[in-house]
Amino acid sequence: MGKNGNRPMILTEDLWKTYEMGSEKIHALHGVSFEIRQNEYVAIMGPSGSGKSTLMNVIGCLDTPSQGKYYINDRLVSELSDDELAYIRNKEIGFVFQTFNLLSRATALHNVELPLIYNGTPSVERLERAKASLVKVDLGDRMGHKPNELSGGQRQRVAIARALVNNPSIILADEPTGNLDTATGVEIMNLFERLWEQGNTIVLVTHEHDIAAHANRIIHLRDGRIERDEIVRQVEAQKPQPQTTEAAT
Amino acid sequence: MDFLEAVHISLDSLKANKLRSILTLIGIIIGVMTVIAVVSIINGLNTYVSTKIFNLGADVFILSKSPAVILNIDDWEEAQKRKDLREEDYQAVKEGCQHCQLVGAAVSAVGRVKYEQQSLTNVTISGWSAAMPQILDIDVVSGRELTPLDEEHKSHTCVIGNDLVENLFPGLDPIGREVRVDDLPYLVVGVAKKLGSTLGQSRDNFVMIPVTTFLKEYGSRRSIRIFAKAYGQAALEQAQDDVRLIMRARRHVPYAKKDDFAIETNQTFLAIWANISRAFFLVTIAIASISLIVGGVVIMNIMLVSVTERTREIGVRKAIGARRHDILLQFLIESSTLSLVGGLCGILIGVVIAKLVSLFTPLPAVIQAWSIAMGLLVSTSIGLFFGIYPATRAAKLDPIAALRFEL
Ligand SMILES: Nc1ncnc2c1ncn2[C@@H]1O[C@H](COP(=O)(O)OP(=O)(O)OP(=O)(O)O)[C@@H](O)[C@H]1O
Ligand SMILES: [Mg+2]
Repeated sequence: MGKNGNRPMILTEDLWKTYEMGSEKIHALHGVSFEIRQNEYVAIMGPSGSGKSTLMNVIGCLDTPSQGKYYINDRLVSELSDDELAYIRNKEIGFVFQTFNLLSRATALHNVELPLIYNGTPSVERLERAKASLVKVDLGDRMGHKPNELSGGQRQRVAIARALVNNPSIILADEPTGNLDTATGVEIMNLFERLWEQGNTIVLVTHEHDIAAHANRIIHLRDGRIERDEIVRQVEAQKPQPQTTEAAT
Repeated sequence: MDFLEAVHISLDSLKANKLRSILTLIGIIIGVMTVIAVVSIINGLNTYVSTKIFNLGADVFILSKSPAVILNIDDWEEAQKRKDLREEDYQAVKEGCQHCQLVGAAVSAVGRVKYEQQSLTNVTISGWSAAMPQILDIDVVSGRELTPLDEEHKSHTCVIGNDLVENLFPGLDPIGREVRVDDLPYLVVGVAKKLGSTLGQSRDNFVMIPVTTFLKEYGSRRSIRIFAKAYGQAALEQAQDDVRLIMRARRHVPYAKKDDFAIETNQTFLAIWANISRAFFLVTIAIASISLIVGGVVIMNIMLVSVTERTREIGVRKAIGARRHDILLQFLIESSTLSLVGGLCGILIGVVIAKLVSLFTPLPAVIQAWSIAMGLLVSTSIGLFFGIYPATRAAKLDPIAALRFEL
């Protein structure tokens, strides 16, 4: 657990997510415990159906675990009200989806503005920050474009700009390159790398080893359990404790 | 969430589904349109009725055998049994009514007026006493009025209305010429000022002759009407009481019995009209309400469809921090904006209808500001009310279920 006053940003204790399909019970998460500290760059890997998305959704406060505790910045998520969860999704978390999930009728700028609208940022500041965020992902010249007027990579960059606009504690990306070709994928990965270097905390789901190689820590999931949790690159600022949970089978 | 932002989002999604939005709004449009148009038309009718139909002076009342408007059969039967009003009654009222400035008698028939080869049928032949034009405010524009002397001598003189001038004397001065009214000769001594028409019926198609002459030529066995003008509006009640007392005394009506004659003022007529127009108004409101409720249900339905179609959008909004009430507000604003747009269309069409009515009929259909305000208020409220259920459904959606939703 956290030493030297450096509390973990994300802390899960024995998370379970169980789906009941008729008489059958599917454990998408099977007792998952780990912690993530500031400015880590974590890749979550594992075969299809191993529970990666489920885990991300729980961390992103989009989904609730069936069992277990989840703390984000020391707050026990299960105790939060609906509005408090919305606040955390808005302020603490920047979620990047495999399918981008932009509002198709809105311009890039408006899509990026949206999280700011929901936290009541005054419109002048809102525009400024949304523009700055788009500039950060090199889309300063595409602000007025709607998603269908943008390439896949550009759309994902809009989604990343949207995730960044509230300066969240953590960026969660579920297969952000899954719908992109390799070259565009590399472009997006470079963007994440840059964001990480700027001090952001990133958790990213991927199938691909060369994408995971960008991270400094890889959590391997299998059948809803953490199979392996390895540090691949040391971070100069701090050294997160390698925490390995044995797959108990 | 910023209110304007929500309106903007709503208008955007309305624009994205133009045809559907219009179809959705038909109920609201018809409802609001009906209210606006009918309120304007009724109002025009009211103005029309009070200025053109029941246009007795405020200090004038009429004594007659039976009321001008009878609304049930019993009253009608009772009225049939009443005694006629006679010239003697007129004389008695004239002498006995202390609060009356003027008292006049009038009786009329329909007949034919001829001048040389020209003739005009369906002319109102009014037997008027000399005070009548003054009581009814009908001036003579050329020649002279009928005088008490004409009355006394039962002379064959007449004052004619504008229609007769135009039809019988084109290009001629009628004064001093002789017309034949129902085959009897009358000397034209005056021409009355043009009165115009009411409900498409000319009010200038008349010839006035002395009431005494009328009774002589057309028979005295018909009920006359007695018109009285009080000394100002303040004396109207007292003048009516005078007349009532005189008539009851003449007819020996016992204390407990109702009058066996009718005394009516402009107020009486207007009150009757007010009843009719209120009934008309209530029927309209009922029809409009049905159409508004149907419109509301359609809006609810379309909003439910919209919520379903946009489940993923709702999921995205929730994923980036929209609270329940943000989503609720968005859909409520959307449904009320939708029906407000319907209300605006309804108002527009209603105003156009009212304008057309006042253009093509004599009714001065006046658009009422309050009906427009009500149209706006009602349409918005309908949208709000019927939007609650769909908006609540949207707001309650679970973020992850919404994001995973597939149509
Ligand atoms: N809503 C659901 N109802 C029932 N079972 C579900 C549901 N969502 C996920 N699962 C099951 O939970 C398990 C984990 O799913 P999850 O989406 O987390 O996998 P994943 O690791 O993200 O896979 P992929 O790499 O293919 O995206 C799967 O076996 C899946 O069938
Ligand atoms: Mg997945």
